[in-house]
Amino acid sequence: MTQPSQPVLVMEKVSKVFDETGDPVHALDSVDFNVNAGEVCLLMGPSGSGKTTLLTIAGALQRPTAGRVFIDGTEVTAVDQSDLPAIRKSKVGFIFQHFNLIPALTALDNVALVMSGGLKERRGRALELIESLGLGHRARTRPRHLSGGEKQRVAIARALANDPVLILADEPVSNLDAARLGEVLTQLRRLAYDLGKAVVIISHDHRVQEFATRTLWLEDGRFQDGPHILGN
Amino acid sequence: MLLLTRENLLTEKTRLALSVSGIALTVLLITMLVALYRGWDEKVGTFVAQSSVDVWVTSPGARDFLGAASLLPVEGPDAVDAHAYLNDHEAVAAWSPLIVRPMDVWRIEAVVDGSEKQGQRIDALFIGFDPLTGLGGPLRVVEGRGDAWFGEIIVDSALSQRYGVEIGDVLRAAGKDWTVVGKSQGGDFVGTQTVFAHHDHAQAALGMVGATTFYAVSLVDGTDAREFADEIVERAPDEIVAYTRDEFAGNTRERVLGDVLPLLVVVLGLAFVVGMTVAGLTVYTSTVAHSREYGILKAVGFGDGYLYRLVVEKSVIMTVLGFGAGILVAFAIAPLITNYVPQFVVHIRWQDVCGIFGATLVMAVAAAYLPIRRIADLDPVSVFAA
Repeated sequence: MTQPSQPVLVMEKVSKVFDETGDPVHALDSVDFNVNAGEVCLLMGPSGSGKTTLLTIAGALQRPTAGRVFIDGTEVTAVDQSDLPAIRKSKVGFIFQHFNLIPALTALDNVALVMSGGLKERRGRALELIESLGLGHRARTRPRHLSGGEKQRVAIARALANDPVLILADEPVSNLDAARLGEVLTQLRRLAYDLGKAVVIISHDHRVQEFATRTLWLEDGRFQDGPHILGN
Repeated sequence: MLLLTRENLLTEKTRLALSVSGIALTVLLITMLVALYRGWDEKVGTFVAQSSVDVWVTSPGARDFLGAASLLPVEGPDAVDAHAYLNDHEAVAAWSPLIVRPMDVWRIEAVVDGSEKQGQRIDALFIGFDPLTGLGGPLRVVEGRGDAWFGEIIVDSALSQRYGVEIGDVLRAAGKDWTVVGKSQGGDFVGTQTVFAHHDHAQAALGMVGATTFYAVSLVDGTDAREFADEIVERAPDEIVAYTRDEFAGNTRERVLGDVLPLLVVVLGLAFVVGMTVAGLTVYTSTVAHSREYGILKAVGFGDGYLYRLVVEKSVIMTVLGFGAGILVAFAIAPLITNYVPQFVVHIRWQDVCGIFGATLVMAVAAAYLPIRRIADLDPVSVFAA
């Protein structure tokens, strides 16, 4: 486990320009962004502000146009493209707005799928993880029979499957009611506080702030003083 | 990995069933075509290959049993000379002239008030052999007699089954009536079957006075047939050609199957393409339907190689299931078809089944090509979209 306060995600002068139509769009403009172990960082901002772009670059899903990105000390902007999947698998856990579970697999197998080792052993570890999130009784249920909150907890279990140092959550509670929202955010905060993960959450929902250790406002590809941030 | 492929396939039962059925039909078609070729190959070559004739002597230009353009003398100075040579040669165990002539044979179905009615036309290979040596005669007699004397014939059992000819029936050939006295096996050339008569009677009926088609020679054990053939041709290189049994059988097979083979290869190629297209379309549509899942897998850290293996695995499972179903159906229906259509002679060999299985695997991998290209182009960032 990475020690608390140790930087897990470091982004230096990161820019991203999309120029597919000949009309360049500056999604990120020389952004510096660090997240430490044990920290829950909330990113807020209007639609199109560059939040998801930042998250995908932080998760080594795409490369920045300029700048450097380090995950757990590895400069992912310097490694070969073909090596990025392995880095994502071992160091990053993703939680998506739409859960993105595999419909054909049970909750248990959705988690076991991303693990390494024999199927029996993987299922054993996946069950432990699912039970730790209070979903043991739903382990053999397929996603279409799970509630939104249950699906998101399975997604959290999948994100934790390979014991990553960095958890990136894109609007993890936007499809949940108030009760489920608190449940999922409590789990995410526990990942940081109890397990020492670095957690980055993107959300439009101000209720998430009370679960975050830090809130940043991103607008026009830059961090700015947000008008609605209640406090950091 | 197999877990995800299996579960994905099981959630698409209709797609799976359609695909497996399409591939099974392709495998069935390929298997039947190959088996038909093998069956014909076996049938066509059997008579010459299993005869006790070691060397076939023909006139120049004739090179197989069916293209019987050969004409050799049995009278006159050349014939006397040749007969003396064969009779005196220490390596010759026996020899005899043999007439082979494709012709229409008619079954006489009824004779009423002195008038007669010709029945069904039978496409036959009329053979005149010497019952004393038996060379070129019936291979295995299964009913009645194996020696045909004047006015008598022995028919192949395939002809008997195909046309309902029985012992005691009268057939008309070369303007003469012949009574069936026996049935034999091994003379089925698929499109035509053998009818055996006495050489001299056949010679007279066909107007081949002083001539025959082949000299059928049986050699003493241990004699090199090729050397003997060379030796005999040296005596009259402009008048005769000699072939060993294997050469003559091979030439006969080639005459029948040589024209069929290119057609067969084309149809086999088409069947392969159809099977590959069925598998490819199914895997492709399935890949499109599951694009988001492949994107998720990419996002959470699975490399392209893993995803390609998933696609190939799915394709292989479908085609192997289709192969199993197709082969089972082929084994089940082949005897039934042969029963109704005697010319549909099939021989399913395990070597061919293995070959078809290999072709099926190639089909599966080739069918995965386009889906793999699609996956390669997938952007994992797309899974962040709604």
